[in-house]
Amino acid sequence: MSELATTNIDPVPATAGNAAIPNTSRARPPATVHGPVAWVKTNLFGSWLSSLATIVFGILLIRWAIGFFDWAILHAVWSVPEGANGPDVSACRDAKGVGACWAVIGEKYRFILFGRFPYDLQWRTALVIVLFIALYAVSAWRRFWRKELLLVWVATLVVIGVLMWGGILGLEFVPQDQWGGLPLTLILATFGLAFAFPLSVLVALGRRSTKLPAVKALCVLYVELIRGVPLITLLFMASVMFPLFLPEGVNIDKLLRAQVAIILFAGAYLAEVVRGGLQSLPKGQYEAADALGLSYWKKTGFIVLPQALRLVIPPLVNTFIGFFKDTSLVLIIGLFDLLSAGKIAISEPAWAAYSTEVYLVLAAIYFVFCYTMARYSRGLEREFSRARNR
Amino acid sequence: MKAFKAVGAIALAAGLVAGAAGAQAQGTGSATIDAIKARGLLVCGVSTGVAGFSLADSQGVIKGIDADGCRTVAAAILGDATKVRFVPTTTINRFTALQSGEIDVLIRETTWTLGREASLGLEFAGVNYYDGTGFLVKTAANVKSAKDLDGATVCVQPGTSTELAISDYFRNNKLKFTPVNIQDQNEIQGAFLSGRCDAYSTDSSALAGFRFQQGAKATDLVLLPEIISKEPLGPMVRKGDDKFFDVVKWTQYATLTAEEDGVTSKNIDTFASTTNPEIRRLMGLEGDMGKALGIDNKWAYNAIKQVGNFGEIWDRNITVMGVPRGINNLWNKGGLQYAPPIR
Amino acid sequence: MSAAMSMTTPTPLSNVAPAIVLDKVNKWYGAMHVLRDVTLTVGQKEKVVVCGPSGSGKSTMIRCINRLETHQEGKIIVDGTELTDDLRALDTIRREVGMVFQSFNLFPHLTILENCTLAPIWVRKMPKAEAEELAMSYLRRVKIPEQAKKYPGQLSGGQQQRVAIARALCMKPKIMLFDEPTSALDPEMIKEVLDTMIGLAETGMTMVCVTHEMGFAKKVADRVVFMDRGEVVEAGPPRELFDNPQTDRLKLFLSQILKDH
Repeated sequence: MSELATTNIDPVPATAGNAAIPNTSRARPPATVHGPVAWVKTNLFGSWLSSLATIVFGILLIRWAIGFFDWAILHAVWSVPEGANGPDVSACRDAKGVGACWAVIGEKYRFILFGRFPYDLQWRTALVIVLFIALYAVSAWRRFWRKELLLVWVATLVVIGVLMWGGILGLEFVPQDQWGGLPLTLILATFGLAFAFPLSVLVALGRRSTKLPAVKALCVLYVELIRGVPLITLLFMASVMFPLFLPEGVNIDKLLRAQVAIILFAGAYLAEVVRGGLQSLPKGQYEAADALGLSYWKKTGFIVLPQALRLVIPPLVNTFIGFFKDTSLVLIIGLFDLLSAGKIAISEPAWAAYSTEVYLVLAAIYFVFCYTMARYSRGLEREFSRARNR
Repeated sequence: MKAFKAVGAIALAAGLVAGAAGAQAQGTGSATIDAIKARGLLVCGVSTGVAGFSLADSQGVIKGIDADGCRTVAAAILGDATKVRFVPTTTINRFTALQSGEIDVLIRETTWTLGREASLGLEFAGVNYYDGTGFLVKTAANVKSAKDLDGATVCVQPGTSTELAISDYFRNNKLKFTPVNIQDQNEIQGAFLSGRCDAYSTDSSALAGFRFQQGAKATDLVLLPEIISKEPLGPMVRKGDDKFFDVVKWTQYATLTAEEDGVTSKNIDTFASTTNPEIRRLMGLEGDMGKALGIDNKWAYNAIKQVGNFGEIWDRNITVMGVPRGINNLWNKGGLQYAPPIR
Repeated sequence: MSAAMSMTTPTPLSNVAPAIVLDKVNKWYGAMHVLRDVTLTVGQKEKVVVCGPSGSGKSTMIRCINRLETHQEGKIIVDGTELTDDLRALDTIRREVGMVFQSFNLFPHLTILENCTLAPIWVRKMPKAEAEELAMSYLRRVKIPEQAKKYPGQLSGGQQQRVAIARALCMKPKIMLFDEPTSALDPEMIKEVLDTMIGLAETGMTMVCVTHEMGFAKKVADRVVFMDRGEVVEAGPPRELFDNPQTDRLKLFLSQILKDH
């Protein structure tokens, strides 16, 4: 390595052209190169075609937004007066097409949210919704990922059970077929996925087993059978065919039937997702664990699953979101989940014309849950990849 | 060891058979009625939500003539019209729910047909609503009868018995029509109102209700006089339990008899000292009609007092939808409802 | 350490049971015969370097020793126990045999320290504090104690491989297997790993090493085994093999290797 010769760098004398010293104190690049203005310039107005498209879509978007605002807010009917035979919907009728009739929500929101749960006891079921949301929020915080979280889950689910069923602590008993609305959707989704996920891991591991061909065959059979039929036919079989095989008078509760069907169904799909993760884990990881002398279950629990599951977070969450919405199929067995309760609310002739408003609100509720799940998964992915890279 | 197992199995089987037979032999002789009494609740299958028949209101209480029918049976057997557990069923699982014993009775605007009665192991215990397919047209179209609908477009939901009924009707009368199939009820009503089709066809009770919902604009629509198909709707029970079948059937007859005699839920107590023999039998003051059926003698009294007579049930659920009594009126008022005598 | 210094590693013990015995081992991948009648004995504290062209079966052979691959014919006896389908025997053997892989195979979701303490805690049932002590001592030995709380993804290749060596050593194995440990490293990092391995050899560890690093072989190996097309062609002390190759195949191989150096 040669040493840098220190040379005398003579200052360049100032001439007319470069008299002014360029102002280099500005640290940020100019607005036309970086920042929101630059983003708009490159992405929206990059070329003639791009600019044209931007202008056309922009106009359409603004027109639609103004129209929607008009319908949903400005000309909307927020409530209707009580008439002789119930609410007098003539105001809504006159506003049809011009303004939204949010009065239908005001009238029906308790039925939509809580289903046929006894009217004066609905505070219990509202509390259940709050508990579920709190449970999700606490579980999402990674700081709380410890053994105690399991106890918290069990305790919360017991409290939810007590609130829904009642019968003790002075609470009136409410049978399961009167449960409905959002708590039913949350119960079906939470228990469904909470049991389906461990089942799916076991099935995925079983499917890759080389030493136990019977187990492998069973797992393959289970997954392929379930994936071969729509969920609705499983629910149909559970609700229609199953009772015929039982002796008269013996009834397996409808909610339990629906729950088991959802668990089995979700389990099969999730098993394939998990299996994809197990397959894409480099073979070297399995070998290193073997070389260290780790037994099958220790290897699976410490090395394989933590990595495999992290690899497949996107398709896992995708399946979770899909199944959360699939719970609405339980209408077919006569259970009133959130979506069904909404449909029945607008079966009442007086409110039949305002299905759009109800469906918009239902969509918003589903969106809140599903989008939260999606955002959370992105956060999880980001956090896990941070630890792996320099 | 094997001998023990064989003996044990036989003993168990014998015990079960004896138990089952015993259940038949004791009590009223009706397994269903005994089960209802033991449970303290009538388990009644209804629809998931059809206005006028069984629909949950904003408080979650199921209202409708089918729901009230359930309540009358509960009042008759248990003495309390509130002791009903409603089980919403869909068209897919309604029959199996009844066949499997999940529900005691199915009151779900089900059409009484030969095929259903012969092949399901179930039977119909009367008719609580005589319905049929009808046509709704715009008054401005100046159509006076369904026979004037040659070449018309008719909005109808696909896959329904209505579709079959109207295609038979048009073929029989050598008329042509173009069906406009729309699945969703709201959409189809919107299509008709906006003029996409000349006529809207479904059960006439639903048409009348829809017309009524137009409020001030109801006069823009007119229901054509022809009812082109027969849809008698009634409760269903399992075959083989005659006593329960009788109870369901005669409970409705009791409500009809009450309406014929002018007995309502409001004035029934004023008849406590009546000398009219039929009303006395109705109220259980004489005749032991209840005991003959295997239930309490105040069966009809409880049903009428707690729920109402046939006309009251109709008025509170159907009339408010704007549907006239029509052929559902009493026999002596021009309709088809005729109750055999309670004696 | 310059090449001139002579090795003062303990000589292999010849009057105790050998560490590894391969007796007429044959292996097929489907129809392909990948190991042909391989017979090899590795004594306690002996350092054996296995070399040969690619496809010669050297990696396969070494992976048969801890049953990452299974052999169809012949016997393999490790630390006195024969390798069969018996799972419990296999677990015992694997505890005493450590392996270092070409692609390191560190567990990316665990810290360096956790990588090293996982097996001692869960297989040898060591209490956590003791395991961490042990791990730190080995990390110091491989000269990267400061990286203990980092994740493998944050380390360079050379550092990762040294961690892999430390991880294997934490199980206190009797035998260490190396499967081309430096082949995936950038040249400037090869030296640090080889130095670690030399240091390990000096402690008297029984080592079987598949490698192309002939300099290392000359310095450390008691014996060099040359394999080609699934069979052991020549074997002997490194000096003899490199200076006096007997077979044409070895001559060809050496000429190719020396060309690259």
